[in-house]
Amino acid sequence: MKKTGEIVIKNEFGLHARPAAALVSLTSKFDSQIFLIKDDTKVNAKSILGVLVLAAENGSTVQVEAEGEDAEEAISQIKELADNHFGTE
Amino acid sequence: MANRITLADFFSQHGKTLSLEHLNQQVSLERSLTTAQLNRPGLELVGYWDFFVPERIQVFGNKEIAFLDSLPDDDLYDMMTRLFEMDVPSIIFANNLDPKQMILGRADEYGIPVFRSELSATDFMGKMNELLSSEFAPTTNIHGSMVDVYGIGLLFTGRSGIGKSEVALDLVERGHRLVADDVVKIRREGTHVLIGCGHELLEHHLEVRGVGIVDVRRLFGIRSIRVQKRLEVMVELAEWQEGVDYERLGIEEEYTTILDVDIPLVRLPIFPGKNITVISEVIALNQLVKIYGENPAREFQSHLMEKIKEQSELREYLSRDFE
Repeated sequence: MKKTGEIVIKNEFGLHARPAAALVSLTSKFDSQIFLIKDDTKVNAKSILGVLVLAAENGSTVQVEAEGEDAEEAISQIKELADNHFGTE
Repeated sequence: MANRITLADFFSQHGKTLSLEHLNQQVSLERSLTTAQLNRPGLELVGYWDFFVPERIQVFGNKEIAFLDSLPDDDLYDMMTRLFEMDVPSIIFANNLDPKQMILGRADEYGIPVFRSELSATDFMGKMNELLSSEFAPTTNIHGSMVDVYGIGLLFTGRSGIGKSEVALDLVERGHRLVADDVVKIRREGTHVLIGCGHELLEHHLEVRGVGIVDVRRLFGIRSIRVQKRLEVMVELAEWQEGVDYERLGIEEEYTTILDVDIPLVRLPIFPGKNITVISEVIALNQLVKIYGENPAREFQSHLMEKIKEQSELREYLSRDFE
């Protein structure tokens, strides 16, 4: 089962190390394969370096793609985390 | 996938290499290039416009310029108007040739950037083609780690947390060179060569679970890294699974396809106590041997077949030795 969604980065300093770590610790809990896509770059959402490479700034939009049993739940929790500034700030 | 680049970006990156000079600087370079192909407009200048591709940069060499010089001003004016109406991305004069003022005037009017290069038309086309081909080369990102092991580019893939980075680190410790960790950018050169490199932001950083992000270059020095490497074997790490048939002979080779190029694939089951690092070195050395035209598994097989044949011949001989 493949699901897609979209998050908007609301953190003042973008998706830097700490928010990225929070995101990765969430995505790692799911069995689904999860990818983030920004511009032409697609990375594994369970890898901290991958997420950092996106260098997603405040206000930017990132596509989320999840494939697996818990894909839908994964996307909704990722959206919630992004809306909550990734638990930081 | 990069399928367009602005002239401004291309000019700032490669202007020096191609010794390019922008002649009408008032014209903006914000137009995009959408093809790696170039054109020398010889046939068009004499009136044959079928198959003309306006997306290509037009390169004028001695021949084209000599022809243009031979034209009366009115014809030259019409010719240039026709060319610029097609909205070509740019025109370039090779051999450091100076375009007539009228050509520049027409180019300004249509907003077409005009360049001049010191290179001869042939040299210019060659270099420009190479640069454009690499700008327009098909690319993809792969989640994995890439290491140069004894000169063979190994790409480790597998699910997050399986230990790709740890294998890479272990290989670096043994004197091999890290190409990229986590995000490996692969681009295709020509039709069957894949080149892997790291992301410009990541360089040679690597994440070790429990430790965090480390910089391999700073820890192990310049000899522990390389910027890019031809990808030669993909090693897929997966937990040992009961019931899966793993390769036991190595006579048949398995392949995977990346950007339409076939790459040998080794599926490596892992379990505690198994030394993936040494096995990776063996995979690299084995590939090296194959590149040099030998296949130890097949040779062993044919040696065995010969032995079996000999024995059956002997058995037959003896079986007919009645007394």
